[in-house]
Parts: sequence; C-alpha cells; structure tokens
Amino acid sequence: MIWRRAALALLAACLLTCLTGAACAQALQYERPVERAPQEKDIGGGYATPKVQKPLPRGAWLEILDVVLLAAAMGVSVWIVVRKRSRRWLVALATASLAYFGFYREGCVCPIGSIQNVTVALTDPTYHIPMVVTATFFLPLLVAVFYGRAFCGGVCALGAIQELVLLKPIQVPRRLDQALGLLKYAYLAAAIWFAILPAISRDFVICRYDPFVSLFRRSGFAHMLALGAGFLVLGMFVGRPYCRYLCPYGGLLSWFSRLATRGVTITPDKELDCGLCTEACPYGAIDQMRAVRRKCLYCARCYASCPREGPLARAKDIVPVEELR
Amino acid sequence: MSKTLSRRRAIGRVARGAAVTGIGLTAGFLVKKAEGQVVWQIDAAKCVNSRLGEFGVKVCDLCVKECVVTQSAVRAVNEFSKCGRCCVCPSYFNVKSAVGRDGLPSEKLCPRDAIQRKPIGEADPNDPANNFYEYVIDEVKCDGCGKCVMACKEPAGLGSIVLRVRHDLCVNCNNCAISTACPKDALSLWPALKAVLGESAPA
Repeated sequence: MIWRRAALALLAACLLTCLTGAACAQALQYERPVERAPQEKDIGGGYATPKVQKPLPRGAWLEILDVVLLAAAMGVSVWIVVRKRSRRWLVALATASLAYFGFYREGCVCPIGSIQNVTVALTDPTYHIPMVVTATFFLPLLVAVFYGRAFCGGVCALGAIQELVLLKPIQVPRRLDQALGLLKYAYLAAAIWFAILPAISRDFVICRYDPFVSLFRRSGFAHMLALGAGFLVLGMFVGRPYCRYLCPYGGLLSWFSRLATRGVTITPDKELDCGLCTEACPYGAIDQMRAVRRKCLYCARCYASCPREGPLARAKDIVPVEELR
Repeated sequence: MSKTLSRRRAIGRVARGAAVTGIGLTAGFLVKKAEGQVVWQIDAAKCVNSRLGEFGVKVCDLCVKECVVTQSAVRAVNEFSKCGRCCVCPSYFNVKSAVGRDGLPSEKLCPRDAIQRKPIGEADPNDPANNFYEYVIDEVKCDGCGKCVMACKEPAGLGSIVLRVRHDLCVNCNNCAISTACPKDALSLWPALKAVLGESAPA
C-alpha cells in the first residue's frame, strides 16, 4: 500500500522492472528488485563481500586489569592508612580511583552492584556470572576481614565522590546515626529479595537507584541525576550519606570489618588526650579515642587533625605540649 | 588481663579463619560455574524492526531512547551476504519522496545520513539500475533508530539490515534499560562466545 506512490520511482530504476517494461507501471504493486541476494560470483569483477562489523566486547585482559587495579588500590589504601598515615595521600588515591573506576569505567562493575549478581548466581543455576564480577565482590570483603573498610576510603568511586565534596562536616547525633544506619540493611535485604525473584520479575535495584552512576556516565534519567546531585549537596555537610545510611555493601563490609585487627589507629597519648580526632571524624567512627572498625571509612581525617601526626607535627614552631598545660 | 586478651585474640582468629573460609568456598563455587564474559545481544528473530513477516507495526525506536549510553550502543548492521545491492534501496532512499532528475528518489531515509552508497564496479550512466550497489552503514553516525531495518525487511527488502549491540560501546548494565523496555523481549544476556557474537540466538 505505502509503496504505491513510490512505484514509479522504483520502476524506473529497478532491475526487475527493466525486464517487465514500464507500461504497466501504475498497476504494479511494489516488488522487491531482487529475490535473492547476489553473491560474489553473480556480481563478478573480483568483488569480495566486505566483512560485517563485529565489535567485540572489551578485551578480557582489560577486565582482569580492572580487578588487579581494584586489588592494588586497596593495597595502597591500607599502606597509606597503616604506614603512611597521611590524609593527603589518601585524597590523591581517592581522586585517582574516582577518575578511573568512576568516570573512566563509568561506575561498572562495582562490588555494590555485584551483590545482586552473586545472589542471583547462588540461587539461579542458569545464571552466568563472569569471573571478574565474582572477584570484584569478594576481594573487598577479604581485605575487610584483616584491615577493615579499606575499599570505602580510597577505592570506591561512590565513596570517593562523596569524600571529595565533604567540605563542612556536621556531626550527626549518635542515636540518629545509628537509626539511619539500619536503613542499609533494609536496602540490602530488598536488593537480595529482588534479585532472587524468578528471572521474569527480577530487578537489580542497587543499579537502578545508584545515585552517582548517571554522573559518572554524564547521562541518565533526569530524576537520577537530580538524586545524585542531591546526595552531593547533602554530602557537603553530612559525611557520606550514601555510604553510611544506604550502601548495602557498606553493611556487609561493616560486618566483616568487625574481625579486622589492623586499620586506622588513633595513637593514645598520655599527655595529649585532646579529642581533636573525634571532632574531625565526620562519620562518628571514633569512640573513646579508638577507631571503630565497622564505621571507619578510611578517610584519614583523624590523622590530618592530629597535632602529633603529619604536617603539623613536622612544623618547626609547634607548641610543646608542656606549654599548653 | 592477659588471659582474657589472648582468649579474645583466639576467638578473633577463629572468626577470621571462618570468614576467609566462607568467602573462599562461596567464591570457589561461583568460579566453578563462571562463564567468562556475558554480553547483551539482540535476537533478530524477535526484534519487531527486523522480524520478517511482521506488518503494520510502527518503527520501534526504544533502542535509541532507552539505552543509558548517550548514543545508543545498539546500531544497525548490514549483513552484506544477504543484501540485495539494489539500485534503489528502500533503506537508503526515502522511496516515498519525489523522484529527482537522476530518476532516483530525492530524499534519503536515514535521519543521520549514516548509510553510504557506492556502485560495485563501474556503473553505466545510462542504465544505473543494471548495477549492484554496496550499502555500508557508518557505525559512528548510526544511533540504532531502526528506520532502515524496518524498511529493509520483506516485502520491500531482503531483511539484510538488523540491529545489533556494539559490544565495545555497551556497558553491560545489570538492568539493561532496552531489554526492560523491549516489548518483544529481544535482548538477553548470552555468554560472549566468539561464535555467538553478532549471530542469532544461541542454540
């Protein structure tokens, strides 16, 4: 039907109509010029059929490189916090991770989202889980068993972007902090629930409502971009709202990091129980001059605030402790 | 004091050991059923734009609209071995447009001018229809709107143009937005075996 108007144009040009003649042009319906695709031998003249483009997925070794970088970044994070005790180095690492895992890799694949893939793989025997996703899920947990949440501080792109925007931290009241902290377990349960549903109604809510992935990709639904911007604005005052109150992987990490023996340590100082670190910690992770492993997000702010550490300690005109008394 | 400390330390050690064993066992189980890479692929037999014998349907442009990649990772691909190499290709020309002085439709179908047309061998200027033409889709320009795919299918064409996921652009979302929106469920995750890539559904 729709071809009727085009018939004249086509008939003038097409191979078939050249043979049948233009006399019955008006009466003819559109007919396909050829019935069969001409092959190399029909075309002749040494014609070679061009290869159809088959763009392959990102090379497997690049995927493995991501995992290696993830592991290396966690190693560096532990080294900075345990040995170097430097906030400046940690900010540099977080910026690098944000650039690579966030803006270059566009936030995928991340351990937070991989919770769902692992859940599906454990419950659905037909589901294929790539090796890389498995490694991405378990590596930060393994590190957490020994060193606490090294992943959160300098490696996680979602954490890094919030870490870098936190300009004027306010202390969240302890009770409120604890109550809101339970939200992430509810979110974890919801994510697992939606992932174990049968394939037809399965949903990956963590990925769907990831507030920052649209920013990393520089595109996305308007409401998700707005949500990301909202979290960043909130994150200027409340330290890492997503990590502390919503991140389901943060919930897992805080369980595993209870076992950790090493990590951020506040050196008790008999002369100087100043508590500056407690005030400096935006995450309420310092309790009675001790870093609480399950809450400590490896930001190293406590080191930066400590008069006994880092640049302040090296300053020449530092006031001796005796004079302060 | 030292006794409680050592007890706590021992409990900690056992718990850490248990945690590491748990992680190891679960990871081992998953690695055992691991499949290397999996990628989203389109089944041409299900896609409304390319499914032969499906009439009276509008061009489906969900692949453009839904994909989270700025310019959709789904692009049209001309399977050359199935291409009729027509002089007037219904996917290249807007065959409903007025005929120009050269006897060819004056407008092109592709809104982004992504299809290139060139004669195979020497074209006789007096009889251009009696020649074969090669249609190459510029993958950089194409955004997978599906207009050419729809125009190429039967009865107008041979159905050589299909929509495919460009795996180098696809970010492999867990929640592929296109697959969620696709009314025909044409997108699904398949293991990225070399034989499957760019072909039809795996057996």
